[in-house]
Amino acid sequence: MNDEKPPAMKTGASASPASVPEECSLAELPVGQSAVIVNVKPSLRGKKKFADVGIVPGSQLQMEAHAPFGGLLRIRIMESSLSIHRDDAANIIIRRQDRP
Amino acid sequence: MSRKYRIVLAGNPNCGKTTIFNCLTGARQHVGNYPGVTVESKTGEFMLGEDEIEIIDIPGVYSLSSSSPEEGVAFEELTKPGIDLIMNVIDSSIPQRSLYLSTQLAELHIPMLIVFNMSDEAKKKGLKFNIPKLQSYFGCSIVQTVGSRGDGIDMLKTALAESLLHLEDHDVPKLTYGADVDDAIRELVEWIEPAMTDRIRHIPARFFAIKLLEKDTCVMRLPEFQNLDAIIDAQITHLYARHAIAAETFMADCRYAMISGACRDAISFTQERRREISDKIDAVVTNQWIGLPLFFVIMYLMFWFTFACAAPMTDGIECLFAWIQGLIERFWSPDAQPVLRSLLIDGVIHGVGGVVVFLPNILFLFLAIAFLEDTGYMARAAFVMDGIMRKFDLQGKSFVPLVLGFGCNVPAIMATRSIESERDRRTTVMVLPLMSCGARLPIYALLIPAFFAAKYQAFVMFLIYAIGVAFAMLAARILKSTLFKGDGEVYLMELPPYRVPTAKSILLHMWDRGVMYLKKAGTIILGVSVLLFIANNFPEKKTFDADYGAQIMAVAADVSLSAEEQSAAFKRIERMRRAEIAEHTISGRVGKLLEPVFRPIGFDWRVTTAAISALAAKEIFVSQLGILYAEDVESDGDGEDDQQEPLRQQLRRAYTPLQGFCMMLFCLLSIPCLATLAVIRRELNSWKWMFFEAAGLFGLAYATTFIVYQIGLLLKIGADYLL
Repeated sequence: MNDEKPPAMKTGASASPASVPEECSLAELPVGQSAVIVNVKPSLRGKKKFADVGIVPGSQLQMEAHAPFGGLLRIRIMESSLSIHRDDAANIIIRRQDRP
Repeated sequence: MSRKYRIVLAGNPNCGKTTIFNCLTGARQHVGNYPGVTVESKTGEFMLGEDEIEIIDIPGVYSLSSSSPEEGVAFEELTKPGIDLIMNVIDSSIPQRSLYLSTQLAELHIPMLIVFNMSDEAKKKGLKFNIPKLQSYFGCSIVQTVGSRGDGIDMLKTALAESLLHLEDHDVPKLTYGADVDDAIRELVEWIEPAMTDRIRHIPARFFAIKLLEKDTCVMRLPEFQNLDAIIDAQITHLYARHAIAAETFMADCRYAMISGACRDAISFTQERRREISDKIDAVVTNQWIGLPLFFVIMYLMFWFTFACAAPMTDGIECLFAWIQGLIERFWSPDAQPVLRSLLIDGVIHGVGGVVVFLPNILFLFLAIAFLEDTGYMARAAFVMDGIMRKFDLQGKSFVPLVLGFGCNVPAIMATRSIESERDRRTTVMVLPLMSCGARLPIYALLIPAFFAAKYQAFVMFLIYAIGVAFAMLAARILKSTLFKGDGEVYLMELPPYRVPTAKSILLHMWDRGVMYLKKAGTIILGVSVLLFIANNFPEKKTFDADYGAQIMAVAADVSLSAEEQSAAFKRIERMRRAEIAEHTISGRVGKLLEPVFRPIGFDWRVTTAAISALAAKEIFVSQLGILYAEDVESDGDGEDDQQEPLRQQLRRAYTPLQGFCMMLFCLLSIPCLATLAVIRRELNSWKWMFFEAAGLFGLAYATTFIVYQIGLLLKIGADYLL
C-alpha cells in the first residue's frame, strides 16, 4: 500500500549484473546492494519492533556491512543505519533492485 | 498570574531530548551519541516568564508500546494523567522515522509541541520543510532547533509559552489511516468507550482502539478490555483478510504510509551529503576484517591515555599532600594533642590523600569513555563485538554497559536497561561487577609498582583487566546455560552517524565524575578512614607481654655487637613492640580472628582488615594499608617528597609479589562496593539475587585467589621481587 517512500534513497555501490529483479531473503543481500522489502514472514520474532523502525513491506533498504564473525548485518533503512541479526534477516523477503 | 505546568519530553532514542532538556533547565544530565543514554525519567524545572514548568525527560522510544524496560517507562509516563503538554523532539535529519512516534503521540490528544532538532544536519542533507503544512497536519506548533549549539531555544520557549496559553482549545490532529482502518477504529471505539473506567478516562478511546488493533500486549492486558477479545479479533480478521499482512505490522505499515504522504507534501529533498564522511569512516571502522583489530587498538589507547596523561598530575597531587603533611608536622608539635595530630596525619591525609591521588586517572578514564560515547563509536564497538560476545552467550548490546563498567559499575548496571532481552539483561548485570571499575584502579596503581619492575607493570595491569573480562565472559556463559536458559531474542540497534562531540559535553561529563569521586573521598572514604584509624589504634596497649625496655638495655649493653648489629637489633625489637600494639587494637583483633580464613590466600591480618573494609568502597583498601603502615612510613623519615613510595617500600618488605598479585586478584573479583550491590538489587528487583551475587563473587574471588596462591607457593612463583 505504500510503494513509495520519498525522499528516495540514492545508493552508492557496485551494480548487480542481473537484469531480472530476484526475490531472496535479506540475509542473502550482498554488501552495497539495494532492495525493497516484499514481505515479512510471520515467523519473524518481534515483528512489531522491526515494523516500528520501518521494516515494513515497500520500504527501500541497502546492505551496508556485515559484522565480524557473521552475526550482525547493518542495513540502511528510512535513512538511518540499523544493525539486526542474520537469523532475523532471514525472515525478511526482499526484491533486489537493479540500478541504471 | 503564575501557573504550574507539567510537560513531558518524548522522542526517538538519540534524537537529542536530553540536550534540549539541559538547554531548557540548565541541568547537565549526561548525553551521548548512541541510543539509550537516558534509561530512567529525569525531572527538571524552569521558569517561563511567570510560569513554573516541570519537565520530564523520558527514555527514547521508537514506538508507544512496552517491549523493553525503557519503553515501559516511557509508556507509563505518557499515559499518566496530569500532563499539560508533550514536547516531541525529533531528529529532523531523518524525518520519516522520527515522525512515526509523533503519529502515536498525536493520538493521545494531549497538546503537543514538535521540536525539529538537529536542523543543521537536516539542512546539510538538503532537507527543506514546509513548516506551516506540517503544523496543520499534526495540529501543533513546530520549532526548529540545534540543541548542541543551543540554537532556536529562545524560539522554543516563545512557542511553548504560546502553546500553554491555548491548552484548553488546542487543535486535535485528524489522522487518517485509510478508509477501512478508520472504520475499524470507529467501530472499536464504540465498544471501548463504555468499558473505560475513571482510571484511564483521560486517554482517548481512539488511542486504545488503535493499540488493540495492532495487538499491543500492554493495552491488551488492561482489565477493562478483557471482554472485547471477540470484537477485536473480528475487526482484525476483517482488515487483514483484505490486506494480507500480520496484525503486529499492519498499523506500522499504515503509519509509515501516512507519513510518506505527509513527507511528499511538506518535505523536499535536494541532495544527500551528510552521511558521506560518516560512511567513509564506517567503511573502515565496521569493516568485517579491520573492525575488530581496530577496536582492540582503540581500547588499548584508552587505557594508555588514562595512565600516561594522568601520571604528571598524579605526581603533583602527591606532592601537594606531602606538603600539607609537612606543614602540619612542622607547626603542630607531637606533644600537643598527639591523638588528634595522628588522626589528621595518619587517618585523614594517608587515608583520603591516598585515594585523591588517583583523581587524574579517574578524570582521564571518563574523558576517554565520554569521547567514545559522544562520537558514536560505542554503537560501532557493539556492532563489531557482537560476534565475539555471542560466543559467550552475550550480545552486542551488552557490550556498551560492560565498557562503561570500566568507569563505574553503578551507571553501567543502569545502562543495561537498553537490552530488550530480560535474560541477557540479567546476565549482563550479574557479570558486570567483574569489569574492573575505576575505584579498583588505585589498588593496582599502588600495588603493581610495589611488586613488579617497570617492564612488567603494563603487562600485569593488562593481565588484571583481562582476567576480569575473561571471568565475566565465562560467568555469562555459565549463567546463560543454567539459570538464564532460553532462546535468543531479537536484536535491533541503531548506529547513529558520527558526530563531533562538543567540548562542553565531554568536559562536563568528566567534571561531574571528578566531583563525584572527590565527594566520595570527602564523605564515605573520610568517614571510613576515621573509623579505621580508631579501629587501628584503639584500645591502646598499656602493659606489654615482653619487657622491650629491658631488651633494648641489654642490646645497648652488649659490647660484642657492632654498631650496625646494634641498630638492626633495635629495629627488630621496635617492630615486635609495634606488632604487639597493633594486634591489640580492634582491627588487629578482628584481623587476627579472620586471619586463619584468609591465610590460605596469602593475606595477613592487615590485608584482611583492608579487604573487609573495602566492601564499603574499593578505594578503602588503599587507605587502610596507608593508615596501617603510616607510622612505619613516618619513622623512615623520607615521607615528604613522595607519599606513595615509602608505603610501597613497606609493602615490598612485608609481602611477596605473589601475595601482592593475590591482593589485586581478590579485589578484582570480590564485591566491588555496597553501592553496586544496592543498584543490582534495584535493577533485578530482588534481594535474593543480590545476596546470590554477593556470595557468588566472594566465593569466586576466594577460590581463584586460593588456587593462584597455593600453586604459586608450590611452584615458588613470585617469591621474590621481579627484576
